[in-house]
Amino acid sequence: MRRFPHILAAASALAATAAGALTYTLYAQYTETKYVHAVAALDHASISRGIMIERTALRQPDLLLIYGASELVLLDTKYEATRFFSTYPTGFMIYNAASKGGSSLTVAQRLAALGPELRGRRVIFAIGPAIMTMAPFGDVAVRHYDANFSDLHAFELAFNPRLSLETKQLAARRMLDFPETLSGKPFLMFTMRSLSEGSPAATLLHYLSWPLGRLQIAILHLQDHYATVEYIHHLSAAEVAVVREPRDVDWDALLAAAESEQVANTDSNPFGVDNSQWPKIKELFVNPRPHGSRDADFINDVTIAREWNDLRLALRVIKELGADALIMSSPMNVPLWETIGVSEAAQNTYYDLLHEVVGPFDVPVLDGREWGRIPYFSMDLASHASRKGWIYVDQRLDQIYHRRLP
Amino acid sequence: MWIRDLTRSIIAVFRSPSARIALLAAYYFAIIVALILMYAQGDFSSTDFVYQGF
Repeated sequence: MRRFPHILAAASALAATAAGALTYTLYAQYTETKYVHAVAALDHASISRGIMIERTALRQPDLLLIYGASELVLLDTKYEATRFFSTYPTGFMIYNAASKGGSSLTVAQRLAALGPELRGRRVIFAIGPAIMTMAPFGDVAVRHYDANFSDLHAFELAFNPRLSLETKQLAARRMLDFPETLSGKPFLMFTMRSLSEGSPAATLLHYLSWPLGRLQIAILHLQDHYATVEYIHHLSAAEVAVVREPRDVDWDALLAAAESEQVANTDSNPFGVDNSQWPKIKELFVNPRPHGSRDADFINDVTIAREWNDLRLALRVIKELGADALIMSSPMNVPLWETIGVSEAAQNTYYDLLHEVVGPFDVPVLDGREWGRIPYFSMDLASHASRKGWIYVDQRLDQIYHRRLP
Repeated sequence: MWIRDLTRSIIAVFRSPSARIALLAAYYFAIIVALILMYAQGDFSSTDFVYQGF
């Protein structure tokens, strides 16, 4: 080796770096495991585009992970699941991985990023009818997708050996519909393009770049560990304290209290819309439409919604990674939609399509249809749960965790 | 005088193959550490945006 001193020196330096990275990873995993329950109860938006803390949460038997969108995070209330279950009243707590502006395409990438950790683990994919029924072409808004996009999640999906090539190709084609998220990232763009093209040459290029992809993921993992440990180190002693107070929950009393609060927060309008949401949609109710007058448009909008294909993509990821997943839907706000001219029969198109899409994947669905006519369940047209609605959702989560549902 | 001794000592160290490799390794390791410090910090926070809902 005296003839190759630079090679020996470089190998020694790389070995020392690898040893340092491994040591730091072990330390980070220890820290994440120690504090994951505290993180679950806090606003963890500053690390929400990572994956390490979610993988750690997935391994905890008393944490139930939920993925989804604004239905689970919009209303600031003590009845929201992470606050409601924060003292482990029935023996578990929610790890809420939902995000404002989230969509099936975002969730597909996040679930893919969980990788082998997902096998056999219970996760809830909470969806709602908002994108399918209200967004143009039933598609996630570009600004919402961009805000939730993570390079790490995208790389994990593209270089996940447990996902089929077909699933990765479908995902890549869809992700290329949002080129802003890939601009300035040549390797990520190359990866998505080579996957989406689907030709033998492009596929070969993708597999040739596999070592580089895994190296990129390893670096992102280290960065994610660092960000997570830094986040934890900045928590106060009060924030990391986890209180466990088992108690019997009086759901009926909670429902009555939450309804009373919700009624007080809808005094700006006669339709039961939350005061925080009413200014955004009040124009729709200036001239209530005749019953069923908008059925045809509604059915067309829901039927062509692009979100259904993204949901199929997320379901493919769920099945191929072997997750014990459950689809939990928010209900249509039936009376409110009727007021603007969409009959209940037309609204049921959402549920019909939901079951049609999920059915072939053999993933259990709780469609929430029975909640659709409960007064004050939703606080707006987009099915965001109200204070009262959250009590129903909390009760359902409790039933799911304790395997009383589905 | 002491400068000459020091210089001789350093030259002697560099003439030793083992010491030379060790110093080179330390040099390369320092470069890697510098690169890590420059680029280690990723951003995993959710981007600020105005959620306009529906």
